[in-house]
Amino acid sequence: MTSKTNGSTISRRRMMQTSAALGAGAIAGSAFPAWRVRAAEEINMWWWGEQELPGLQGFVEDSVKNYTAATVKPMLQDTAVVISQFQTAAAAGKAPDIQYLWNGIYHMESVWLGYLQPLDGLMNADVLKASQPTLLSHYDGHIYRMGWYPLPMIWIYNKDLFEKAKLDPEKAPATWDDFLAACDKLKSAGVSPVGGGIQDGYWGEWYWGHAISQIVDTPGEAVKLFTGELSFEDPKYFEPWARLEELKKHDFLNPEMSSTELYPGIDLTVAGKVAMGESIGARMPKDNETTGDKIAPMVMPVFGKSKLAGKPIFDTQGLGISKDAKDPKAAAAFLEYLQSPERQKALHDKTGWISSNSGTDTSVLKSPVVLDMWKRWGQGDNIPYISNVVPGQFYEQALLPTAQQVVAGKITGEEAGALAAKVTKEWRDFNPDMVDNYKKWSQDLG
Amino acid sequence: MGQSSRLKPYLYAAPLMALLLFVFGYPLVQIFEFSMKLIRGIDGPWIGFRNYELIFGQDLFWEAVRHNLQLLIAIPIMVAWSLLVSILLYDRLKGWKLYRVLIFIPYILAIPIIAAIMKKMFQFDGPVNDALRWIGADFLALDWIGSSDYALWTVMLLIIWRESALGIILFLARLLNLDESLIEAARLDGANWWQRVRHVILPQMRVVIEFYVVVSVITILSSVFAYVYIMGGGRGGPGTSTVVVELYIFGAIVRQSLPGIASAVSVLLFLVSLLLIVPLFAMRRRANEEEVG
Repeated sequence: MTSKTNGSTISRRRMMQTSAALGAGAIAGSAFPAWRVRAAEEINMWWWGEQELPGLQGFVEDSVKNYTAATVKPMLQDTAVVISQFQTAAAAGKAPDIQYLWNGIYHMESVWLGYLQPLDGLMNADVLKASQPTLLSHYDGHIYRMGWYPLPMIWIYNKDLFEKAKLDPEKAPATWDDFLAACDKLKSAGVSPVGGGIQDGYWGEWYWGHAISQIVDTPGEAVKLFTGELSFEDPKYFEPWARLEELKKHDFLNPEMSSTELYPGIDLTVAGKVAMGESIGARMPKDNETTGDKIAPMVMPVFGKSKLAGKPIFDTQGLGISKDAKDPKAAAAFLEYLQSPERQKALHDKTGWISSNSGTDTSVLKSPVVLDMWKRWGQGDNIPYISNVVPGQFYEQALLPTAQQVVAGKITGEEAGALAAKVTKEWRDFNPDMVDNYKKWSQDLG
Repeated sequence: MGQSSRLKPYLYAAPLMALLLFVFGYPLVQIFEFSMKLIRGIDGPWIGFRNYELIFGQDLFWEAVRHNLQLLIAIPIMVAWSLLVSILLYDRLKGWKLYRVLIFIPYILAIPIIAAIMKKMFQFDGPVNDALRWIGADFLALDWIGSSDYALWTVMLLIIWRESALGIILFLARLLNLDESLIEAARLDGANWWQRVRHVILPQMRVVIEFYVVVSVITILSSVFAYVYIMGGGRGGPGTSTVVVELYIFGAIVRQSLPGIASAVSVLLFLVSLLLIVPLFAMRRRANEEEVG
């Protein structure tokens, strides 16, 4: 019997023989993994960041080319798999020597799984400290990340719009009362006082990160909200959302905020459509080049009385060394190389941004506004970004949705607190093994 | 035929069957196994049905299910719209060949592309609202994607627009194979357009309509991720108003480090889809029989 295909004839026997050969070939192929050879001095580095800091790839390639002590093989990771790809490789004992690490819980889970090595003892202590890994990289008395490039978390305002509303363009409102008064004047002048874009949710994360630091005295206190020792239903801890509700009720938020994404929302302030909003320091050089130094940084106006209130928030992206590193000292040496003055200059040349190193040469910063920001956020009395301690489940199911709903006027600040408390309880039920880790971590976080 | 001859075909097929089992069967078994574990990294302790218990006790999961069910409302609209357009095209209204191409274009474009364009159009200060304000219909200039009251309906509108294209093509293909003499006879007997559609055309299209309905149900229950991912800001927002089961699974595995939970929901979705595939196969068999008959 034959079956016809496109005019030619194939016998069933022939088809089955071919199938057998294909199947056997495929199985045989999968049974013998490719033989890989890695020289002893070879360092594998998985990194990310080109996506948020264009030019970083050029810097990495340049650093690899100029480093002579070892051969470094970099691999740029996709945003969606930065954590999962590393954890899967580490679980299989095949993690890269050096891994890119976001701050806080985004690398702490890998620490708890035993996938990362402490950097203290491997790296020069002074270099490690100057890199500004921040407090959120500490666990059980050790430091697991080196700071690489900085992310000052800032509020911004448009000086032109302040002038239009007859506000002092050189003085941002520092207290909540001053802020509300400024919003009133801006609104009267026909300007959207504050906002941005929250359609993708991130604005809510940033907002909470700024606001919660006015409520808690230490990041460790914030962690206790998740372990169940403190509750979001306490008016003290849902106050950030209550303040957001206040802005909504006064009609101070820009009307398109709910349907606009984060970065187009920041563009509204740069374009002179919204007077104040949230941003990150890495945008400042470009935004001030575009506007002629009309975008100034500010700390979120203060309503709280905590020890952290009113201080600039400073976050860094970083790098760490995996448990699978063949020669951890060699990997640490490359990390130290990235902190050298020559590499700090190269980072600025390639990206227009600067290294997170507190001793970085600031003469490369031409804009006085950007220089002022760096001195206050990067070299001053800064505090860590507390949104980075939030568990993933809380982030997805409470932190972002609550802010969106408050901004849309669908829920109150108190209802946001109730939802947050419910999701926190669910997180503990879903992740019973994580609760003890969080409790232990809170001791490092003060 | 000897016993060895009877076994020979199975022996030939065995390697490929083994490969298929490995490719499809192994992940399926793994998902069932993961759904019973608290996975950290790539494995974890056995916890029985605890993941299912947690899911069934969580409001967000049921909200996601409810959103999938709400989207099913789109199906009768898709069927009615596809039928209307395909019959109009079948009547050869002027330029019908061009319309046929235009109508099918959304179906060949990637969902993320059309969803991203649609999202821009439906922003509060986007072209749709600008047009509504321009014609004086300000009361209709709603926050289509920014309000939890309207966001899921806006997603549904996009689904209807794109998925109807498949219905139109399927229905038109069936219409072009109808026995025209029956329609002509009805016309000669004095049947008007609606009577011809109601009593002559639709009965002959029953099987293809049923097929389209089942395919659409499966699509809406298990293949709307790209729509809600783009339109809902990547997270089923605003709030949780556009979270569907697929997005719930994605969030659990990628963003919450809960592969066990994601696996448990995947198992449930798999079982529901399996239940729906049975009538789909039955319909295809009936369609084949009708064609042969």
